[in-house]
Amino acid sequence: MEQIDREREEELIVRCHDPGAAWVQGVQEAVSGQQTVCGWREDEMHRLKLSEIFYFEVVDERAFVYTQADVFEAKEKLYEFERLCAGSALFRCSKSMILNADRIDYVRPSLSGRFEAVLSNGEKVIVSRKYVAELKRMLGV
Amino acid sequence: MKNIMLWARRYVTIYGIIMLCTFFMCLLFNPTSELPVVSYFGRIMVFTLLSLLSMVVYYSRDELTPKGWWLRTALHALLLETMLLPLAHRWGFWHSGPDIIIYAAFILLAKALWHLVDYGISARTAAQINQRIRENRLEKRN
Repeated sequence: MEQIDREREEELIVRCHDPGAAWVQGVQEAVSGQQTVCGWREDEMHRLKLSEIFYFEVVDERAFVYTQADVFEAKEKLYEFERLCAGSALFRCSKSMILNADRIDYVRPSLSGRFEAVLSNGEKVIVSRKYVAELKRMLGV
Repeated sequence: MKNIMLWARRYVTIYGIIMLCTFFMCLLFNPTSELPVVSYFGRIMVFTLLSLLSMVVYYSRDELTPKGWWLRTALHALLLETMLLPLAHRWGFWHSGPDIIIYAAFILLAKALWHLVDYGISARTAAQINQRIRENRLEKRN
């Protein structure tokens, strides 16, 4: 561990023989996947891992969390949720949505200059051009 | 800085498209015309600036729906014609009769070209992203 000045960017480098090793997975999960948020459905609270969230969307000032097949209501505001998932695979993809990059099957362009992301559950969401740079950065393009 | 680069790139692209359209317009309809080079380039710069400013019609606080985008695209085309046709007439780019139809058609053609160029850039970006997603998936599998 090295303590650095505030001007330098923080980073975590894992040097390993096997990226699939349990301890490496553990580090990855600790950094992102195991973090949880609360989702509400029919007055029941559910703990949702960030890694299982497909996207978070605000519609008419109400926030919703979408997983593989379920929808939960969330209490967080968009910026709060964005802050919560910093460092994970979730990124802001439009004015009202935060999307999990790990759940994107593929993207396709549209005439409007935006992108349509097809998710692994078949759902399609819009990625604004403004935010596509963040997706590229996350994927290392 | 990113935004400045984006708008500078847009400016250059639109300028190029207008130049290209002018070339074909002159080639097809007025091959013997002689353009006053300095003022011509200056006027095209003004056209480009106006075209960029007119893109304000796409501004929206919420994310545009596909229908909303098409509506604004139609509105933008109308705005471009309304702004550029009188100015072009004043500067002698068209005079009367069928000229106006040809000039209006070339404005629409330039707009369509702009969207095609934009689509091409998006398609290239999408291909890069998809390639990376495939590679990541393969890495995870192995």
